[in-house]
Amino acid sequence: MSDDSLKLYTAIYVALLVAATLNFVLFEATFLEFTYAQALGGTLVIATVKTLLIVAYFQHLRWENRSLTYVMALALALTMLLMAAATYSIS
Amino acid sequence: MIDPIILQRGSDWRAQAEVFDEIFFVFLALGTLVGTIVVAYTLWNVYKYRDDGGEPREDFDAPTVGELPTGQGGPKAKKLFLSFGLSAIVVISLVVYAYGLLLYVEEGPDANEESDIEILVTGYQFGWEYEYPNGHTTRGELVVPADHRVNLDVTSTDVWHNFGSSELRIKSDAIPGETSEVWFAVSSETVEEQGGEATYRVECFELCGQGHSAMKGQITALPQDEWEEWYESTGGDSENSSNVEGGVSVDDTASVSHAAVGGVPA
Amino acid sequence: MSELPPTTSVKRWLVTTNHKDIGILYTITALFFLLFGGVLALLIRVQLWDPANQVLSGLAYNEAVTAHGLIMVFWFLSPFAFGFANYFVPLQIGADDLAFPRLNAVSYWLYLFSGVLLGISFFQGGTLSAGWTMYAPLNVPMYTPSIGSTGAILALTMFIIGVTASTVNFLTSIHHSRAEGMGIMDMPMFSWSILATVWMMLFAFAALLGALLILGSDRVLGSVYFSATEGGALLWGHLWWFFGHPEVYIVFFPALGAMLELFQTFSGRRLVGRKWVIISICLIAVQSFLVWMHHMFLTTINLEIKTLMMATTIGISLPFDLIVFSLIYTLIKGRIQFTTPFLFAFGALLLFILGGITGVFLGAIVLDYEFRGTYWVVAHFHYVMFGGATALVGAIYYWFPKVTGKMYDEFLGKLHFAIFFLGFNAVYFSMFLAWETPRRVFEYNPEFQIYHQFGTIGAFVLGFSFFIMFYNLGKSYVSGESAGANPWDYSRTAEWAVSSPPPLENWPDRPSYASGKLEFVKDYVPDGGPAVKTDEDGNVATDGGDTHSSHISRYAHWDKHPSHASIWPFALSLALGVMLFGLSGFANSVTVELGETALQSDVVISNLLYPTAILAGIGGLLYTGVKWGTEDFYAPPTEFAERWPFNGVEKVKLGMWFFLASDVLVFGALLSAAIFIRYNAGWMTWEPLTDPLPGLINTFVLLTSSFTVILALVAARRKSRQGLLASLGSTILLGFVFMAIKMWEWNHEVFDKGVTISANAHGDPIQASIYYVTTGLHGIHVLLGLVVAIFLFVRTYQGHYLDDERPIEYFGLYWHFVDIVWVFVFPLFYLF
Repeated sequence: MSDDSLKLYTAIYVALLVAATLNFVLFEATFLEFTYAQALGGTLVIATVKTLLIVAYFQHLRWENRSLTYVMALALALTMLLMAAATYSIS
Repeated sequence: MIDPIILQRGSDWRAQAEVFDEIFFVFLALGTLVGTIVVAYTLWNVYKYRDDGGEPREDFDAPTVGELPTGQGGPKAKKLFLSFGLSAIVVISLVVYAYGLLLYVEEGPDANEESDIEILVTGYQFGWEYEYPNGHTTRGELVVPADHRVNLDVTSTDVWHNFGSSELRIKSDAIPGETSEVWFAVSSETVEEQGGEATYRVECFELCGQGHSAMKGQITALPQDEWEEWYESTGGDSENSSNVEGGVSVDDTASVSHAAVGGVPA
Repeated sequence: MSELPPTTSVKRWLVTTNHKDIGILYTITALFFLLFGGVLALLIRVQLWDPANQVLSGLAYNEAVTAHGLIMVFWFLSPFAFGFANYFVPLQIGADDLAFPRLNAVSYWLYLFSGVLLGISFFQGGTLSAGWTMYAPLNVPMYTPSIGSTGAILALTMFIIGVTASTVNFLTSIHHSRAEGMGIMDMPMFSWSILATVWMMLFAFAALLGALLILGSDRVLGSVYFSATEGGALLWGHLWWFFGHPEVYIVFFPALGAMLELFQTFSGRRLVGRKWVIISICLIAVQSFLVWMHHMFLTTINLEIKTLMMATTIGISLPFDLIVFSLIYTLIKGRIQFTTPFLFAFGALLLFILGGITGVFLGAIVLDYEFRGTYWVVAHFHYVMFGGATALVGAIYYWFPKVTGKMYDEFLGKLHFAIFFLGFNAVYFSMFLAWETPRRVFEYNPEFQIYHQFGTIGAFVLGFSFFIMFYNLGKSYVSGESAGANPWDYSRTAEWAVSSPPPLENWPDRPSYASGKLEFVKDYVPDGGPAVKTDEDGNVATDGGDTHSSHISRYAHWDKHPSHASIWPFALSLALGVMLFGLSGFANSVTVELGETALQSDVVISNLLYPTAILAGIGGLLYTGVKWGTEDFYAPPTEFAERWPFNGVEKVKLGMWFFLASDVLVFGALLSAAIFIRYNAGWMTWEPLTDPLPGLINTFVLLTSSFTVILALVAARRKSRQGLLASLGSTILLGFVFMAIKMWEWNHEVFDKGVTISANAHGDPIQASIYYVTTGLHGIHVLLGLVVAIFLFVRTYQGHYLDDERPIEYFGLYWHFVDIVWVFVFPLFYLF
């Protein structure tokens, strides 16, 4: 890994903690009055960001051969396909 | 009482069996033709280019162990694309043609809430229960009038079954928690041709347990007036549900074995 | 323990990890299952002789039908192909062995013991009787209550665990150990077909593993997925066919590869349009994941998706057209030699053409509506799958001289083909004629009796033909003529360049295609350092097939000889088999009687056998796992190799990523199930079962543990033993905190809220099942991670990993992945 900086890892870690708290706030903080759809959409965005942070830095995919990223993207795409097509088929 | 709307010959509906037979014939004819050509061509060439122990042709370039496939030139692929293109055209046009008829089969002739008969078909281990609009239920045999579109709502109380009648060319999955739809109609001409009562075998087409093989039933189509007479006699009374005959004579040769239907321990 | 005993010793076959030995084991075991499945097929045919026949009872007939399908598809076709793949892919790509020899052995032993479990299931009150497609809800205990049904499903689960290991192994091998100069497009067609196969397997079998874990939980733990009326039956359909359609090509591709290979060898011609054939193969592999709902046309899925699936289905037939024409044109202008292998390969093509044409019929929805559940389907897929396997029978004859060094008897071989081909068409073509018969029905319309009788005769002829083969091969092995290294006139691939049978380590020197054809080069190996490639004058070369990244030099044991022997793959597989055997009877021998609290609940054990087996199995797994981890086993990575498109990725890391990609699909199946069912039940009618706060705390715990794992890696790199111990220790601690909170939460759900795996006091029971099973599978992942973390901790204490921190890094990849899964599980079950 071209970067073994503890500072960077700590920053990522803090960002992840904040993101997790945000998830919670979206749904549970009544004073903010998000609709369900907003909260759900926001949570998915946050989850995606968290995943990207973990994959890119903790699993250091950022510094690996790009093909590994494509393999994981393919796995994710197939998961989404199964989920979306199956659910769509009964709508 | 339901007003009859006669589906006359010459009107634009076609039985599912008719649609199926047409497509099946077209596919079978083309499939046989293409298959025969391809196989005959292949066999002929395999014979023609057999190794008869003679001298190799001038342009014969024998491969060697350890060669890499790239950079060896390799045979030309022009003919390959021609054949591929032809086969693609055949296959795609077949399916586009079949798709047009699919839309008909899905929709059926114009639905008419007045005259259509809605039957709820429920599969169970191991038989079929039919519920008529008046609430009357029968097991084993479904009795319908000629010249009416019959809509079946098919479901199941236990496992996955498949309700089908090969002669009528109808089939529908019976899935617990789901209701699938299929329609059919029998014309009065057909009923007359079969001697005043047309019968069709019903089978289960999805493995559903140990009685699967014996899970058979029957669809009986009666002339409009006979059916009405029978239907009124049921009076929406579902108590005689086990009385399959319900005033209708069942042709013994139609292989509906009431001992087998529902007689297998669940 | 590194040296292999001689082939005459039984011990050799228990400890071997050599790809050729394992290939032989696979092939022989698969042929045994061919006989097993074949006998079941003959039982079915006997029953069909007369529509009133009752040789087997209804239940026994269903068991025979189910076991025949499962055995032929899973325990025969694929392992048979992978016998050849094991033996010949490393030879064809110029590798010494597969990337992970012990993992390869474990795949085989899992396969064998899963077959044993399946055999045992017949004696556990009858095996599964729900058909090989196991449609829900017939596959749940309410309708198939025997212990053997659970046994069969767990056997299949075990088989798939083995397949996953094998898939990762082949992917890593082909992408990491191709000989120098062998670009990916240069690979022989058989190896290409295996590469496409394992790519499909990686994802398809993972989805099936997810489905089977759910089914196993329904059967063993009492969750209610597949009996749920909120779409449980359709869910099975989706999961099954998402796997099931790629599976058709997974089974067919190796046979296609054999056809492509044999057509070239016995015509003396190179493949016509080779590049386009490879492109077609890749296209099919991708498209195979886009057609699965054509198996569900008669369900309640909507017309839009049906139309889409019809279009993709037709789309997938087109690349096959191209491949078939390529095969035909390859023969033209050749010098075709009608040897036994060629006859089988050619016969396979003819059968496949028929299977393909009848498949187009099924692609048209209107026709499919009628063909669904009939013998048309049965006939079609036998022509495709068994028709394809015909080429693999040819492959036996083709490679027999290479494996044994002896030539088979040509006359008997041709006789086998003639009888086989006749029998094949008699049994399966008659099915087309009797197509209106419903599948898996023996009381059929007497109109079709003549066809079924014809088919039964054909089946016996077909079965008999294999005894000619067994006799031929047996006799030739004992007293056949010596075959020499290359008995065929026009062979091209590298396995024919070495002796028959090939030496243990395959090559005299390092194989290289750098010059455009196969050569064996001697490498200069300085003492204790990595091999250095030299050119003809002995100068050190500066560029290789791969950038020799620094990881190569990290291997500390350059002077070591590769290891070949290990008993732990066998022992580990046995332990897993024992555990799964125990699980099969768990639901019938252990009852939990819930009281007011956990302490007041009772566990009643009615039969000690099964719980004991579970405990013994778990103990065995832990013991053999530790032994495996501490064994001194050396499998050197290939130094000069073509690795496109994974240049510069270290071997084990590559394997790890492939494994994680498949695990994505396992969780993908479970999460898809959760969303599908909830959507079907009405999304907004469900509220989270759990309080969000414990979930949030656990999110923090897990994220922190991910951070400590990263710290561990940094500590290992900085060679700080203290730091490594501290960060690994914190990770373990955090893992236990996570599990403790989870246990508290489950306890709270069960005893305070009345939510158990099969009951829900607040709503649909299926919601409770989904919650427990999904978070439970995640919990098992955490638990497995903890076991590995403790192992690493102890080894660190003993002084390891400071020179070579890769195990810490790879453990981290897994641990972070488990963390990511939680990132999605948390909102889905605690917030949405």
